[in-house]
Amino acid sequence: MKGNFFISLRLFFERRRQSIIATLGVVIGTAAFIVMSSMVNGFQKYFLEEALNINGHVKIFVGSTFREDRILRKVYKEGIFFVLGAKPKSVKNRISNYSEILNRYARDENVLGITLHLIGNGVISYGVKEKPVTFVGIFPELENKTLRISKYLVKNNLAQLKRNKEAVILGIKLAEELGIKDIGKKVVLVLPNGTLHRLKVVDLLNTGITEIDKSRVYLHIKKLQDILGKPNEVNEVILKLKSADLAPFYAKRLTKETGYRAESWQESFKNFLSIFKIQKIITRSVVFAILLVSGFGIFNIIMMTVLEKKRDIAILKAMGYEKRDIILIFSLQGIIIGVFGGLVGNILSYGILEWLETIKIEVEGIVRAEGFILDRSISYHLQGFIFAVLVSFFASFYPAYRASRFHPVEVFRSGS
Amino acid sequence: MGADTVLKAENIKKLIGNYEILKGINFSIKRGEFVSIVGASGSGKSTLLYILGLLDTPTEGKIFLENKEVDFSQEKKLAALRNRKFGFIFQFHYLISEFTALENVMIPMLKAGVDSKRAKEKAEYLLERLGLKDKILRKPYQLSGGEQQRVAIARAIANDPILLLADEPTGNLDSVNTQKVMEIFQELNSEGTTIVMVTHERELTRMTHRVVEIKDGEIVEETTLV
Repeated sequence: MKGNFFISLRLFFERRRQSIIATLGVVIGTAAFIVMSSMVNGFQKYFLEEALNINGHVKIFVGSTFREDRILRKVYKEGIFFVLGAKPKSVKNRISNYSEILNRYARDENVLGITLHLIGNGVISYGVKEKPVTFVGIFPELENKTLRISKYLVKNNLAQLKRNKEAVILGIKLAEELGIKDIGKKVVLVLPNGTLHRLKVVDLLNTGITEIDKSRVYLHIKKLQDILGKPNEVNEVILKLKSADLAPFYAKRLTKETGYRAESWQESFKNFLSIFKIQKIITRSVVFAILLVSGFGIFNIIMMTVLEKKRDIAILKAMGYEKRDIILIFSLQGIIIGVFGGLVGNILSYGILEWLETIKIEVEGIVRAEGFILDRSISYHLQGFIFAVLVSFFASFYPAYRASRFHPVEVFRSGS
Repeated sequence: MGADTVLKAENIKKLIGNYEILKGINFSIKRGEFVSIVGASGSGKSTLLYILGLLDTPTEGKIFLENKEVDFSQEKKLAALRNRKFGFIFQFHYLISEFTALENVMIPMLKAGVDSKRAKEKAEYLLERLGLKDKILRKPYQLSGGEQQRVAIARAIANDPILLLADEPTGNLDSVNTQKVMEIFQELNSEGTTIVMVTHERELTRMTHRVVEIKDGEIVEETTLV
């Protein structure tokens, strides 16, 4: 083993040009993997973290929980049924047992907090500009305890909702679209029944998630109950859990236990999660292609080395080196290339990520940011390094195996 | 088989395709002997040497090394025997071009499990002994043909083999270097190293103890000179 490592290491350093070219491929592949993973996951993690901070993990709302084919299923148990022409059932848009839910689940060890909402639709106008919006009536303290709403308020005026009955908080993008640049402006809320309500903008919500910042309007729940004529009514309960992964389980349980529809964040963000999944597949494919190309580079270089070194392999065998030793010598070459490439790739990607963090550019899409949102997890560096070593090892294995098959006598006879 | 027999070949045959290269060779080498094998090109002398050195497998026949039959089916054991018991020298030096003279000599010792410090010391000693003291850190391309072959000899004797097998070791050298190589062989032989040398240069056989002539895969004449 000592001899094999010695030969391998010496060949790596003595065949400098080939080693550098092969290592360079691995460096680029590793750095690309780390940088792309950091960028893609940074964006996705940021989106989910912020969205969950503001929306919670499970939402209980009034939704259709019955199946049109329930009677048929009771009779026939199994089978494929299509119920055509079923009339939508009229349901009251309120959660009547919300205090029971609040009391019961507030004691659950996996529930970090519960907050109550009253949701309503209408139009908000400022001057001649109008925008259709969804109002969210909240208990400011409860909301802030459960979700971190004040973290996203530009002026940190959440308490104003309680103190000032005419107070309203607008999403920052919505305010921009209405032409509101600062707080203190008066807006008019137009309800579907035609009534008008004058409200004062006391703060702006800036989550960085365009969709939320474009549509969210917060009022005190009492005010909204008052103007909608729904005293003490709640139509949405939000749960924040200890772990985001528990959401599907709790959603199922809550649907069963409350009689209302409960939706996990995974279901609510299904479309985004699908996009993220595709994004991840594309990223992985690109990185895989880069690593594959560098793998082929290593394969070619080691194959060339093996063919060039036929005589050396033959003499090594004459000196007592076994097939296993020859495989080790050339596979070690691959591993050395992988280790060096992986290390340099890690250093390079660290530099690139440091540089990307300093770049200030306006990014506006699903999320808004003033630069690249990066996930600087060490796991990408570790993964990049492991991939580099594995790809290099596999790329070098076949040439190494070929080398081990050379018969010394045939090589000596051929004079090659 | 006498206790002083290092190697014995019994009815060795070698077929390549339908062509019989060796036709039942019976041959033995005594400890401390210097044997030369001569013959025309294609007579089978190199094939015999490769089989004696366990580099090639006979189609038929047996090889006894220090009175023990060699099992050609066990590759691992054959490799270990080649490493510990044999030293090979070829017409071309076959030195690894990326390595220095010193490193080339160290390679068989590292395979034998010799500590790298000890291997380095011994390689230095051998190269110094062969007159290459000031060239130990040179790469093969920085050495003359004769020097390259001397490095190859140092490498062949690094693990103190019981048998040194040389296939046309002077075939690529001028008369001065040929003389030097032969002197080294004689010196090594006088110290107890058994040598088998394949050559087509008849005059070199005068420096050996026994001459074995091969013709068409058969031993046709054996002459003891000493």
